[in-house]
Amino acid sequence: MIYHRALPHVYGYLLPRCGSVSLAEDLTAETFMAAVAATRKPDAPELTVGWLVGVARHKLADHWRRSAREERTAAVAAQPEDAVDDPWDTWLDTDAAHAALRRLNVHHRAALTLRYLDGLPVAEVALHLGRSLTATETLLTRARAALRRVVREESHDR
Amino acid sequence: MTADPLDALRLPVVPVDPRPRFAAGLLRQIAAATGDSADPAAGGADPAALRDNPTVRYFVRDLATAIAFYCGRLGFEEELVAAPGFAMLYRGGLRLLLSVSGVPGAGAPLPDGSVPRAGGWNRITLQVTDIVGTVEALRAAGVRVRADVSAGVAVSQALIEDPSGNLVELIEPAAGYRERT
Repeated sequence: MIYHRALPHVYGYLLPRCGSVSLAEDLTAETFMAAVAATRKPDAPELTVGWLVGVARHKLADHWRRSAREERTAAVAAQPEDAVDDPWDTWLDTDAAHAALRRLNVHHRAALTLRYLDGLPVAEVALHLGRSLTATETLLTRARAALRRVVREESHDR
Repeated sequence: MTADPLDALRLPVVPVDPRPRFAAGLLRQIAAATGDSADPAAGGADPAALRDNPTVRYFVRDLATAIAFYCGRLGFEEELVAAPGFAMLYRGGLRLLLSVSGVPGAGAPLPDGSVPRAGGWNRITLQVTDIVGTVEALRAAGVRVRADVSAGVAVSQALIEDPSGNLVELIEPAAGYRERT
């Protein structure tokens, strides 16, 4: 049955992006229950692993939106001058960058995850985040700068 | 357009089995919602089967780097970290213990003076879905690929190295794949 087969894929998509087993389990459950509901509709999509991973991505984006509402006040206060798009060095320690991603605020983390971990084009990132293309480009620029700063701070701490 | 260094952050989907208890609960919920009442495969979470997870120990040089590699790249989850010498990770039912060479504990020198070290030919084998894409993404991320993807009758396989030089074998089932059922 497709649900059995898809479960490790959906969970395998969510776990490293959530960084938490309990959150990954919650979103996995949401994904499958939404899929079950979708198959009841007249224009039901064909159930495939790829489609279910897509649903998981939507659930993850929804989760980020919820957390963003919760941390809004804190996030606005803590966003000073990230606006400069520093070019990255060609060398990048990707493990350090993945770890640093978890310390960014939820907007930055969401944008970078969809754009880079998932490899989506900017227009699709914008759709998932419910932002305009321009706003998404600006957000990505800030997020890259924020990530760079965290990676640098952590490499100095060592 | 120039290459974007952040493209190296690409994370292909590596299937990970969730905790058996969670999986069984969710599959039961799905079966109830779809009216698919008798679902033998969903009943696989016999509590007795949850104990005695197969366990492998790897010796590593640096704990944080090793945890980042296995959790970030290969879909392991962190269960316990006792820095500086030990960590316990899970990937589905597989438990992976990481011990730092030379640190008291499993990494401590033996009475004969020898010190457990990373490396050697023995390795764990992990199943992935898109082995070509996975290996490409790992290579782009700077992971050392010791043997590129080769296709066999039962599996396609590749050998990669963790940051301490331990081998990890990746496989993708092919037509002749077989496991005991």
